[in-house]
Amino acid sequence: MDKKNNFIVETLQRFGNAFVRFAQAIGRLFKGFIARFKDGSTGTKVAHLIMGFGNLTHKQYIKGALFFVLQIGFLLIFMLNPEVNDTPIGFKALQNFITLGTEEGDLFGRLADNSMLMLLFGVVTFGLIVVFLAAYTANIKSSYASDLMVREGKKPLTFKEDLAELLDSRFHVLLITPTIIGVLTFTLLPTIFMIFIAFTDFDREVVPGLNLFNWVGFENFAQIFTGSGEIANRFLPVLSWTITWAFFATFSCYIGGILLALLINKRTVRFKKLWRTVFILTIALPQFISLLAMQQILSEHGPVNAMLMNIGILDEPFAFLGQARTATTARISVLTINLWIGVPYTMLMTSGILMNVPKDTYEAAQIDGATKFQAFRNITVPYIIFITTPYLITSFIGNITSFNIIFLLTGGDPNVPGSVAGQTDLLVTWLYSLTIEEGDVNIGSVIAIFTFIITASATLLSYRRSKAYKEEDTFQ
Amino acid sequence: MIKTEDYIKNPLKEKEVERKKAERSERFSTLLAHLGLVLLTLVWLYPIVWIILHSFREEYRDGIFVGIVVSHYIPKGFGFENFIRLFTTTLFPRWFLNTLFVATASFILSTMMTLSVAYVMSKIKFKQRKLFLNLAIILGLFPGFMSMIAIYYILKSLGLTETLFALILVYSAGSGLGFYVAKGFFDIIPNSLIESARLDGATNATIFTKIVLPISKPIIIYTALLAFTGPWMDFIFARVILGETNRQIHTVAVGLYYMVHGSQYADGNQFTMFAAGSLVVAIPIVTLFLAMQRYYIEGVTAGAVKG
Amino acid sequence: MKRKLMLLVMLAVTLFIALGCSRSNPLVIWVGAEVQEFYQEKMEEYIEYYNANNDEPFPFVVEVRAADTGSAAATFLDDMDAGPDILTVAHDNLGRLIAGAGAIRPVQSQALLSQIESQNPETFLNVITANVGGTEYVFGIPYEAQSLILYYNKKYLTEEDVQTWEGIWSVAQEQGKRSLSITGTDGFNNSFLVLSSVVETGERIVRLYEDGVLENTEFVTDYMVSVLKWGQRFFTSPNGARQASDSGWSADLSTETSLTVIGGAWHFNEARASLGNNLGIAVLPQFTLTEDDVYGDVQAGTVMQSGTFTDTKMFVMNRSSDKLDYLEDILLFLTHKDVQEQSFVRNSTLPAYKNALQEFDAMQADDIRTQLAVAQIAMFEHGIPQPFGREARFNVFYYQRQAPDRILSILRNTDNRFNTDAAIVTEMIAIERIWLGHRD
Repeated sequence: MDKKNNFIVETLQRFGNAFVRFAQAIGRLFKGFIARFKDGSTGTKVAHLIMGFGNLTHKQYIKGALFFVLQIGFLLIFMLNPEVNDTPIGFKALQNFITLGTEEGDLFGRLADNSMLMLLFGVVTFGLIVVFLAAYTANIKSSYASDLMVREGKKPLTFKEDLAELLDSRFHVLLITPTIIGVLTFTLLPTIFMIFIAFTDFDREVVPGLNLFNWVGFENFAQIFTGSGEIANRFLPVLSWTITWAFFATFSCYIGGILLALLINKRTVRFKKLWRTVFILTIALPQFISLLAMQQILSEHGPVNAMLMNIGILDEPFAFLGQARTATTARISVLTINLWIGVPYTMLMTSGILMNVPKDTYEAAQIDGATKFQAFRNITVPYIIFITTPYLITSFIGNITSFNIIFLLTGGDPNVPGSVAGQTDLLVTWLYSLTIEEGDVNIGSVIAIFTFIITASATLLSYRRSKAYKEEDTFQ
Repeated sequence: MIKTEDYIKNPLKEKEVERKKAERSERFSTLLAHLGLVLLTLVWLYPIVWIILHSFREEYRDGIFVGIVVSHYIPKGFGFENFIRLFTTTLFPRWFLNTLFVATASFILSTMMTLSVAYVMSKIKFKQRKLFLNLAIILGLFPGFMSMIAIYYILKSLGLTETLFALILVYSAGSGLGFYVAKGFFDIIPNSLIESARLDGATNATIFTKIVLPISKPIIIYTALLAFTGPWMDFIFARVILGETNRQIHTVAVGLYYMVHGSQYADGNQFTMFAAGSLVVAIPIVTLFLAMQRYYIEGVTAGAVKG
Repeated sequence: MKRKLMLLVMLAVTLFIALGCSRSNPLVIWVGAEVQEFYQEKMEEYIEYYNANNDEPFPFVVEVRAADTGSAAATFLDDMDAGPDILTVAHDNLGRLIAGAGAIRPVQSQALLSQIESQNPETFLNVITANVGGTEYVFGIPYEAQSLILYYNKKYLTEEDVQTWEGIWSVAQEQGKRSLSITGTDGFNNSFLVLSSVVETGERIVRLYEDGVLENTEFVTDYMVSVLKWGQRFFTSPNGARQASDSGWSADLSTETSLTVIGGAWHFNEARASLGNNLGIAVLPQFTLTEDDVYGDVQAGTVMQSGTFTDTKMFVMNRSSDKLDYLEDILLFLTHKDVQEQSFVRNSTLPAYKNALQEFDAMQADDIRTQLAVAQIAMFEHGIPQPFGREARFNVFYYQRQAPDRILSILRNTDNRFNTDAAIVTEMIAIERIWLGHRD
């Protein structure tokens, strides 16, 4: 209880600290601005209005021109509002972001406003503003830095020298810029966009470009907790199955993998490489192949049922997966098949670790007269657990968002009458069918946000753990 | 004398007996271990062998080719009919080349980006480093499907949807976020190595390309292997980004998935053809994995321990 | 040396990428996968004809692509700009396509309008038009038709047996098999019961959005209760009907687990591979309500006929196409009855042309493919076109709001929840409310 409280207090404190630090950073930013404006040369002062001017006065022509072009370009975009797919970017996009479109269109000629693109371009325009502000600051800083160099009697850096810096003291900028651009456009922007969608009524009855959607505030979130429809009815069951699944999937593969690794690494076992290769084979095989095959093999007329009936264990075919009679049957089946997928990974990983079990501890134990089993229990097991805890947590998170196994094996079935979400649907497969198949993008986004909250809390916990471990030197 | 002999011999004999006993139990447990492994191998290979057998299945009923799922494990007839049909009546050759193209381009881009980010995060100290690390972790936690729709429209605004190039962009753009394993590897490289090079006047760029990369072969191969095999396995992103009707530019995973699942393309009688296609896809990937086994294991182990 | 090699590789990759990304602006037509090749050839023919009769050559490259005609409308609506110039949809998607600002353009050329009127049966003409702003417009140009028929195993069943479900059922009982596998769980597949009609009067027992009016809908009738009770006996009997196994319905047929399957023309290849020469094709059977089934005023011994949706696939034009001027002339050619006949010969598609059975020579043959067509055309007497075209909501209400699941759970008597008439009627009222658009 106490510990839990501590954790909450700590987290709150951390958030508080972060907030204070953020405020301080902004304060510093402004102080910096004022200081640079006061202290800078005339060129630097003018650069506050016309970007690149400071650099021009320092004869850094190319750099100055680049800044200037950037400013003109930004202002042009902002004022002229160029249209992409009939939807403007720029100042108008900010207005559109608020209204999400007003024109409803008609059958001949007039197109309806595309609410989705308006929302997207609103976010893009905000992004452009942030990028512009960063460039603006960089322009002043660069001019001011040149001021300082002149004052010290040095020559300001030429463009060539600036470029050379990219290979040395600013090498990290060169290395991570492509990634930052990629992540901004293809990860951050879409994520922010989808978070906004959760606050709209963009459901299956909306076709962007044909009819409009609007802001609805927290209605979609409320629907999950207080509504009486299928979403509200199915949310908690799906959530609890997701967590149950992640728990059992993680630990069953973990234990299975360690046992398999011990078996293969047993001193007297021969052809170690051969056995390991067999299991790597299953990792290398694309999952859409192996899982679709599994689904067919375990199906009613598949070879497994045929074999069981031949031996006489079964009288009639048994449904293991989507058409199983009870949810529990289907759930046990997917967890079992998950072993087939997951155990080889853990085996590979723990194999490496097993070879590194500290030998001297073992020898000391043997001198003390410990049996093999005792040595295993008291040395090997704690060592493995200690060293693989981070893996356990990442694999738990991975299992919460594991898609292929459920999607390909059962498609979420057995079916629950009156609901899109079946008995084996996880949050991610549910959100897939809601958004991609049914078109309820807003509810899908809400579920995505919840999934994020779960994985984020697990990550936060794992951070605490690893920090706790870092403070200790030994694992005993 | 005798007494002494007894005294000396008996413990020895006892020890001998004990040793033999231990040896026997050891031998027994070894036998058991092997038996267990054989059994597990059978279980693990069961579906794989099934696919291989069915890709060569050639059965006819009243002269009509039977490609649907059947309940017997071992086919009644073998032949190359599935492969012939796969290569002559479907777009499979095209899909294969598409995938090869996407995989090649995106593995080059991804590997460069991932290693760059990992190196920066591991060895170069700069102001916003911590911020970047935290952001990367947070962004990685959002379920990818959600952004899929948005990504589609972003690509469209760029005029790029329904091209293989778009797919390459999507596969590589975010790859830098998966830098943890490589960072773990770079962390182990001693800082002294880098500092002494710097004292010799090397720039950061030279240190990275001339000193660090040459000793990082395992992690380069691990990263490249994962980036190269990814496009062969993904059937969700590719489907959304390439569009359902553009069969000319599908990848193998999308094409094969459609062959047996979802929509009216799905023809249950093409199941054996799906198996044949699977085999053609699996052979190069599996070979690659097995050839690079050592590096793969190293990477997995490093990733696990570093978290 | 190494550096040169690297450069070369980079160059090759760039070139490769540039090649992979080169695009043009073709005229794109979506058709079903099974006829893609056929229509590509027809378009080549068309261009040849066009070039011979015009001064300017045809200005576009034409690409005919295979699309899933069931989901084509949805795919198209997801992104109209990237969509085709002409696409094929099932007629019941019309409502979605003209909702809001309208994604498709009505037919305007007189030539095309009169061809549509002269070639198509009355029922189709009703479902390809819609009222926008007080005016009736024709939006779709039908060229294929489809309905559900019965695939059966001739090894066990005679033509006599498949006249009635009871006949099939009793053979299944003797042989220890299942009578029927239904291929899916949606509202299309359970339509053989929901759309059934009284043989004596020809009266259909359900009313579904008649004349495009939401309120013209009635599910809770004495006949429907009786039919669902009959269906419940059929679906819960060990030798009755079932959902197809997770091996797929074709495995059910080939392993002789089930004796029949209800399916469309698109199931033909798979059915043929499952049964070979034992494949039989028939009109959907009749069935007789017994003492156990009747409810309200319905008499025991009433004979019912299984029904089906009799649909047409039609071409529609993308409103945002930049080649609108060329489209109607192309469609005049592609939907002409001669092309429909050629397509029937080549691809076994069912023509939408109203007199096909009498006028097409190819329809007079006696092979299994012709039987398939004839049985489908015969089913047109026992079916209605899906009445969801008038408004987008109808489709959502009928298919998407879980009504089909609920009907299926009455039939299967899930968890023994539907043992009494009262329980069935209560659930039926709930289903009717879904159909009427209530959200509760």
